[in-house]
Amino acid sequence: MTAPATRLRGVSKRFGRVVALDGVRFDLAQGEVHGLLGENGAGKTTLARAIAGLLPVDAGAMEIGGRRIAFGNAALSRSSGVSMVHQHFSLVPRFTAMENVALFDRDGWTWRGVAAPGRRERVKARARELELDVDLDAPCREMSVGERQRVEILKALMGATRVLLLDEPTAVLAPKEVEGLFAVLRRLARSGTGIVLVAHKLDEVLAVADRVTVLRNGKWTLMTDASATSAGELAQAMVGSAPGEDQAGSAPREGGVPDDCLAMPRSGAGSERSAAKGSSGAGLKASPVVASLEDVTHAGGNAPGLRGVSFEVRRGEVVGVAGVEGNGQRELAAVLAGVVRPDSGRVRLPEAVGWIPQDRTEEGLVGGFSLVENVALAMHDDPACRTGPWLDWRTVRARTAHLLGEMEVLAGEGPSKPAAELSGGNQQKLLAGRELFRSGDLLVAESPTRGLDVRATRAVRSRLRRVARPPSPQALEKPPPGVVLISTDLDEILELADRIVVMVRGRLAPVPPHRRSAAAIGEIMLGAVGKDGP
Amino acid sequence: MRAPDLRRRARAVIVGSGVGAALRPMAQAVAALLATLLVAAALLALGGHSPVGAAHALWQGAFGSWNRFASFTLVQATPLLLTGLAVALAFKAGVWNIGAEGQLYLGALAGAAVAVSFPGADGGSALWLLPATLLAAATAGALWAAVPAAMKTRLGVGEVITTLLMNFVALFLAQYLVQGPLQEARGVFNQTDEIPAAAALPPLLPGSRLHVGFLLGVALAGAAWLYLTRTAGGFRLRAVGAAPRAAEISGRVAVQPTIWLAFLVSGALAGLAGWVQVAGVTGRMYEGLSPGWGYTAIAVALLARLNPAAVVPAAVLFGALSAGGGAMQRDAGIPEAWVRGTEALLILALLAVDRGLNAARARRGPRGGRRQSGASDGRGPDNLLGELHARRRSEPAPNGAGLRSEADA
Repeated sequence: MTAPATRLRGVSKRFGRVVALDGVRFDLAQGEVHGLLGENGAGKTTLARAIAGLLPVDAGAMEIGGRRIAFGNAALSRSSGVSMVHQHFSLVPRFTAMENVALFDRDGWTWRGVAAPGRRERVKARARELELDVDLDAPCREMSVGERQRVEILKALMGATRVLLLDEPTAVLAPKEVEGLFAVLRRLARSGTGIVLVAHKLDEVLAVADRVTVLRNGKWTLMTDASATSAGELAQAMVGSAPGEDQAGSAPREGGVPDDCLAMPRSGAGSERSAAKGSSGAGLKASPVVASLEDVTHAGGNAPGLRGVSFEVRRGEVVGVAGVEGNGQRELAAVLAGVVRPDSGRVRLPEAVGWIPQDRTEEGLVGGFSLVENVALAMHDDPACRTGPWLDWRTVRARTAHLLGEMEVLAGEGPSKPAAELSGGNQQKLLAGRELFRSGDLLVAESPTRGLDVRATRAVRSRLRRVARPPSPQALEKPPPGVVLISTDLDEILELADRIVVMVRGRLAPVPPHRRSAAAIGEIMLGAVGKDGP
Repeated sequence: MRAPDLRRRARAVIVGSGVGAALRPMAQAVAALLATLLVAAALLALGGHSPVGAAHALWQGAFGSWNRFASFTLVQATPLLLTGLAVALAFKAGVWNIGAEGQLYLGALAGAAVAVSFPGADGGSALWLLPATLLAAATAGALWAAVPAAMKTRLGVGEVITTLLMNFVALFLAQYLVQGPLQEARGVFNQTDEIPAAAALPPLLPGSRLHVGFLLGVALAGAAWLYLTRTAGGFRLRAVGAAPRAAEISGRVAVQPTIWLAFLVSGALAGLAGWVQVAGVTGRMYEGLSPGWGYTAIAVALLARLNPAAVVPAAVLFGALSAGGGAMQRDAGIPEAWVRGTEALLILALLAVDRGLNAARARRGPRGGRRQSGASDGRGPDNLLGELHARRRSEPAPNGAGLRSEADA
C-alpha cells in the first residue's frame, strides 16, 4: 500500500440539529478493501455519499489521486474515478442488464444519442474481465438480488474507476452470494481499485477488508489493519465503552465532550442505586414481577425476530438489553409493549405498557399535532378522559400541563405548539412523560437518547433513572414501574441498568453481575454469534 | 419577569390559544383566494375583457338578489358541500379519495331507482320513502368506495388511481342504466321517470329553488366537525391521517378499520350529494347529472383546509363562482371556461401557500432529530401536495406494528 489514493480530513456535516459527521478523517489506498464500520446512524453512508459527491458538506477537504476535489459535485467525483453502488439498487426493472449498463455508460452513446458502435462488445469484455457472472440479455426484474448487484457493480465500473464505494452490499444477500461478492471485490482490489465497503456486520468486514475505519455517532473512532484487530475491539469501538474499562488506547473517546458532563450523572446513579436498594430492604429480588415472557418466538421479516426468549421484569429495576442493532430488539419491544402478539410462547403483561419507540418523529409523536393532541394519543381510550364518544379535552389539557411541568419540557409557546417544533430532547422528554403516564407498571425505552446532544441525553437519562428509582419510594402511593432499556449504546446501558442482558440473533444472553464491563458484554455479543452463526 | 419572557407569554396567549390556531389556516385560505382573484383578473384583462365588468356580472349573478343567492348560489353549493365534506373527511384520514364523482353518480342512481319503484307515492302516505332513498343513496356511495378501500387495505393498491378510475366506471354505469333498465317509460330521453312527490326534498324557502338538502349538508358539516374535533373516534381518524405509524404504535389505533371507516363515510356523503341533487332540483336522474362536482369538491375541501365547518363557506364560494359564471357568460360574454380556470388557479395558489409556509417553517424551526438526508421533505398535515405526491411508507403494515428493522445508516 503506497500513498493514499483518497484522503479526507475534518469532514463535518449536519442535518438540521443532527450532527451526521463530525471532523471525520478517512484514507483509502489503491488496491485495498477498506471496511467502513459503524452502527446505524454512525455516519457511514453519509461519508460514502460525501466521497461520491452526492452531498455538500459543512467543512472538510478531500483529495483523490493527489488532486483536491470539491464536495457536493457528483460529476467531478465521477470524473475523478469515484463510483458508488447504493444500498437500494437503481436499475430499470424492465431493461436488460445490457440496457441498464449502457444507460449510464458515457462512452456507450454517440453524440446523437444512439448506441455507439461496439458498445455491446465493450460491455461484454468488461464483464468478462471483471469475471462478473451476469446474463446481459436477461431483464433485471427476473434476476436474483445477487445478480442485480453484479449488474450494479458492472455499471459502476464501466468507466475508469479508482474508488468503488459499496453501501451495505451484503445486507440483501444470502451467505453464498456474500462469498461471491467478496471474491469479486478481492479481484478488483488486486487490479488496483480502492474499495470502500460500508457495513455494520463485523465478521463480514473482517473476512474481506485489509483495513477498517470505525465511526461512532458521526465521529472517527478507530482505523486499523484488519489483521491487527479483533471483532471484540471493533465492537467496542462501534458501540462505545465505559471509561476505565476501555482497552487502553484503542480509541479516542468522545472528542470535544467535556468528560464531567458524562461522568456526573454516572456517579449520581451509583449513589441513588445504593440508596434505593438500602431503603427497599431485601433489594430488587423481592419486588414483584410486572411482566414476563416465556419461550417467546416471533418471526421478524428480515431480522432474526425472537427465538425462544424468556425474560422477566420486576418493579423498580432497569433491565438493559444490549446488542448490535437488528438482532430482534424491535420485535422484543413490540411484544413487550403488547402491540404485537408473538407467534408462540407465553406473555404476561400489565394492563398498560409505556413504549418509547426508537423513531420518535415517525412512531412516537405526530409532528403536526399539538403537544396536547400528542398526549391524547395515550389517553383517547382512557375512561377518565371520555364521556361516551366524547373526548374530554379539558382533562387531557390539564394532564398535559402537569406532564410538561413534571418532565421539564421546554415548550416556549405552550401546549398548543406543534410537537415538530420542539427540540429533540424536549420531544423525548414529552414522549417519556406520556408513556409513563400511560402505564405505571412497565416502560419500554428503545434507544431513548439516540440523536440527542449531550445535555438532552443527560436530562433524558436522569429522568429514566428517577422513574425506576424515585428518590423517596415510600412517598409514592404505588411502587415504581419496571423499565426495559433497549439500546445499542453500551455506555447508556452500563450507566442505567441494574441488570443487563445481551440480544444476539433473536436470543437473550444474561450478563452476570461480576462481568459487567464493556469488554465482557462485547464478548458475549460476538461469542454467541460464533455458537449460533451459519 | 423579564421582558423577553413577557413577550413570549403574550405570544403564547395569542398563538397558543385555540382562536389563534384556528385563524392561521383561515388567513392562508384568504391569502390564496386573493392571489387567485388577482391572477384571474389579469387573465381577463389579457383576453380583452374588463375585469370590473366581469366582477360586476359575477357578483350580480351570485349575490344580486336574495332569490339569486338562494336559488342559484346556494343550490349550486349544495352538492359541492356534500362532496366537499366527503373529500375533507377522507383526506383528513389520509385517504385520497378522488372518486367522489363516481360515488355521487352511484348515490343518485340508487336513490332514483328506489324512488321510481314507488311511482304513486305521494307526500301524505309514504313518509318513509324519502329516508329510504337517502339511505339507499348513502349505501350505494359507500359500497362504491368499498372497492378501492378493499384494494388499499388488502392489496396495498394506492387509492388515488383506483378511486379515480372507478369514476369512469360509474359514469358508464349511469349511462347504461338511464338508457336501459332505469329509462323513463316513454323511452324518449336518456333519463329516469320523474320521482314521486314523496321522494322529493321539500323546498327550504318558499318561492326559491333552495331545498332542504342544503340544510342537510350544513347539519352534516356540523356533525363532522364535532366528530373530528370532539370525539375520540375523530381524533383517531386524524391521527391515522397525520402519521399512521405513530397512530399505530403510540396511539394503539387500529389503522385498517379507521381507513375503512373513512372510505365508507366519504363514499356515503358523496352518494348523498348525487341523490340530494336529483331529489331537490332535477326530479330525474339522467346522464351528465354532475358537471364535475366530485372533482371541484377537492378544491372545496382544500380551500376549507379539510375543516368540515369551513367546507360550508368554501362550498358557498364555489357555488357563487358557478352561479356567477353563468351570469358572466350571458351578460359580459366571458366564457364559462374562465370559471373553471379560476377554480384550478385557486388550488394552485393554496398549494403554493402550503409549500411556502412549510419551507419557511423548515428553515426556521427545529425539527426533531432525523438524521436521514431525505428527512426534510416537509411532510406535515398541511402539506397537501406533498402528501398527494410523496406518499411513501405511510401505507400501514398489513399486520401488527409495522416492524421495520432499519438497515440504513
